[in-house]
Formats: sequence, C-alpha cells, structure tokens
Amino acid sequence: MIDNLAIAVSHALLALAVWRLARSDALDADPGSDLAQRNKRKRIGEEHGRG
Amino acid sequence: MVSLAIACFVLAFLALGMRRPFIWVLAYCYVDIVGPQKIAVSLLDPLQVSLVAFIAAFGGWLIADNKTDSRFTLRQGLILALLIYCGLTTTMADFPVEAASKFEWVWKALVFAIFLPLTLRTRLRIEAVALVMVLSAASIIISGGMKTALGGGGYGTLRLLVNDNTGLYESSIISCVAVAIIPVILWLAKHGTVFPSDWRVKIFAAALTFACLLIPVGTEARTGLLCIAVLAVLSLRSVKRRFLYIASATALALVAIPFLPDSYTKRMNTIENHAGDQSASTRVAVWQWTLEYVQDHPFGGGFDAFRGNKLRIETRTAEGTGNNQAVEVTEIQDQARAYHSSYFEMLGEQGYLGLLLWLFLMFSGLWQMERLRRRWKARTGPDEQWQAPLANALQQALAIYMVGALFVGIAYQPFVYMLIGLQCGLWSYLRRVDSPHQPKFQRKPGVVVKHAVAAR
Repeated sequence: MIDNLAIAVSHALLALAVWRLARSDALDADPGSDLAQRNKRKRIGEEHGRG
Repeated sequence: MVSLAIACFVLAFLALGMRRPFIWVLAYCYVDIVGPQKIAVSLLDPLQVSLVAFIAAFGGWLIADNKTDSRFTLRQGLILALLIYCGLTTTMADFPVEAASKFEWVWKALVFAIFLPLTLRTRLRIEAVALVMVLSAASIIISGGMKTALGGGGYGTLRLLVNDNTGLYESSIISCVAVAIIPVILWLAKHGTVFPSDWRVKIFAAALTFACLLIPVGTEARTGLLCIAVLAVLSLRSVKRRFLYIASATALALVAIPFLPDSYTKRMNTIENHAGDQSASTRVAVWQWTLEYVQDHPFGGGFDAFRGNKLRIETRTAEGTGNNQAVEVTEIQDQARAYHSSYFEMLGEQGYLGLLLWLFLMFSGLWQMERLRRRWKARTGPDEQWQAPLANALQQALAIYMVGALFVGIAYQPFVYMLIGLQCGLWSYLRRVDSPHQPKFQRKPGVVVKHAVAAR
C-alpha cells in the first residue's frame, strides 16, 4: 500500500515534469543564451561596420 | 497492476523522446536510479530498458542534438582517465571474474558521467536532470520515509520498494544519497521553473526533505546521522539568520530524540564505542589490511580485491563501572570483508594512482562549485539568481557524499557520477554564457577600433 502510494506520487510528478519539459522550447534552445549570441553577433557586426 | 503501470510509464517516457531526444537522457537517469525493471520484472526485464535508454540517449544526442555548445571539461577528462585506468586494473585483477562483473556496471556509470555534460547546454536541461534525479530518488525515499514514520524501520529490515540490496536500495547508500539531495530539493523548490515555486511545491519539498531525514532513522545507518550533521554545519554558510537556525535546529533535535526508536539510539551509540561493535571493528581491521595490501600492490588489486583478505578481530565490551568493571574480549575470524569506505575501496582496488585521480575528481568539484558560487552570488539580474544557489547545493551534495563515503563503499555509485556530470554541465554552461560579460570581451571593441584606426 505504502509502496504503491510512493510510486504513484513520484511517478505522477515525473510524468507531469517530463510532459512539461517535452512541450518547452527552452529545453533545446536557451533563450538567454541565444539572446547573448545575437547580441554578440550584433556587436561584432557593428564593430566591422565602424571599421 | 503496479508492474503494468510502471511499464506503461517507461514506454511513454521513451516515446516522448521522439519529440525531444534529450528526454532519453532523462529516461536513462530515471532507469538507472529507480531500476523499474526490478519493480516490473516480468514486463521490463526482457526489454533491457537500461540498455535501450542508454543507446537512445547517446544516439539521440549524436543524430539530432545541436553540439556547437558542447564542451569537454577537465573533470570529464579525469573521469575518462579513471575509466581507462579501471579497465587496465581489471585485466590484472586478483579476482578476474568478480572484477569483470563489477566493471560491467562501473564503466556505464563513468561513460554516462562523461556524456551527460555534453548534453547540458541549456538552463532548463540542467534543471531537468536535477529534477528527474530528485523525483526518481523520491520514489524510494517517500516509501522508506512513510514506513519509518509508521514505525516500520529497523537495521536491515526496512524494505524499500523491492527486495534488493543493490544501488540506491541498499540502506547505507540511500541514507547518504537522501541527505545529499536535500540541498538540491530546496534549490528546486525555490528556483525551479518546471514546477514554479508556490505553496504546493513548498509543501511537497518540505515533506520530501522530512522523508529524506527519516531515511537514516529508518535504515539505522550510522552514515546517515553523520551526513545529517554535515548538512547542518554546511547549511550555516547559506542561511540568512544563523543564530535562529542554530536555535531551531537544536530545539528540533531535542524534540525529536524522545521519538526515535530505542534500537536507533543504541546503534548510534556504537559510533562512540566502536570497540564493542563487530561491524565497526571489522571496518578498522579491513582498512589496516588495505594499507598493508597496497604496500605490495601499489597499483591496486582490481575490483573486488577485498575478497583476498583474512581478518582477526577483537571486540571489547565493558560491563559495570569503576573497580567493578569487567571487559569481555571476543575474538572473531572473518574473511572477504568489504572495504566499507570509498577511500579504501579506491586505494585497495585502484592503488595510489586511482585514489589520487578519484580524489582530484572530487576536490576539483568542490573547488569549481565554490568558484561558481562566488562569481554569481553578488549578481542582481533577474536571470542571475539561480546559478550561485545551484552551485552551492551541488557543492553541499558532493561534500555530504564525500563524508558519507568515508564509511560506505560507494566510490563508483552511478547516482554520484550523475551528480558529478551535473556539476560539469553547470560549470561548462556558466562559463560559456558568462564569457560575454568577462572584462576581456568588454575591452575587445576598444582594442579592435584602436587597431582599425591605427590601420587607417
């Protein structure tokens, strides 16, 4: 009974977590990181423009 | 019914990997920690889910994942060196069959620890691994915690989901791991994004933390008590109100003592009076044997080299007080006694070089997490609040493991190598995302313009 309850609680939370993760784009592409990369590229572009 | 539900869960978990291959990495973490094939034996054992999840995780990363942000760090190199070295010692082992049998699962843990950081290239992936590790361990911990709370604990008698004494189902190992993950649980409750912090998350985190603290009571593993003490001391570093924390912790301990089972307090007393306890006395004898053994075998005896030991142990039990005290000396013969310490396990099996590699791997983890903690703790940006606490939590988890490992032979425990993989991933990720903020990059535009002007 206790084992079944422990399995049910932990696996329900795992299932919900994995479902949310699978639906999130942030799992494969970090928004912050992409932004940093874009800013970096933009900065380098501006430097070349000035040069 | 439970077997069917577990089997469906595992298959659904693996199926979701078709949508995002990183889910397979999480599936391997889950399978390796929980061992669902041990619960749903008839349904999952023939499918070799562990192997399937490992191949899917590695294949998914190789074929479908972006690898431009993946970095190979120094500590992954150390694990690779340890893996090669363990392979070499296995070929020259004192007990080749037993050594090969242990190497069969050790190499998987080490390879996965090398592989895991390569996949951790986003913040959510780092959190996802931490969350899956905690929730997977929680399936064992919740069961053990509830049984302990209802009076079902006892040394060697607390049954954790399955009748199995391997991996996290072993009482000393789960005691150490349960306490080690408490800082990670608290981090997830405060900084998690999959389950954002609200009253439900906080209540579950508090209940799970309580269950983690009950595990050492239920298993009556002395290592667990030591780990709790280490956690209490380490927490002093991160709590805001230290005096209130010390007062609350002391009050809680005093209130809890009367509720502890007699068998637990008797067993904990053997920490102080180890000479009368056979288990503790045997450990000291094994450690002395290991020190003598490596004098003749500086490169170790390969996995399971302890099988060659023959020990003669004297236990001393004192009865009465003062002049009426009588000391009873009992002599015990023992052989093939396990190391009961990860440090002596490494020394006896892998020799001085193996122990040095392993110690370097562990202490470099503490150092790296300390560097991250110091670098990020003063930052005030909205996306810069989770890094230092996570580094702190992973550092505390490793420190608790290192203390617990003094008295348990868990040098190759896959859960701990996952934790090390997570540390490597965090280190690599934060170094990468932090690089644009470093002064050398900020200075660069000026330098470029200066050169450009000079060139004109």
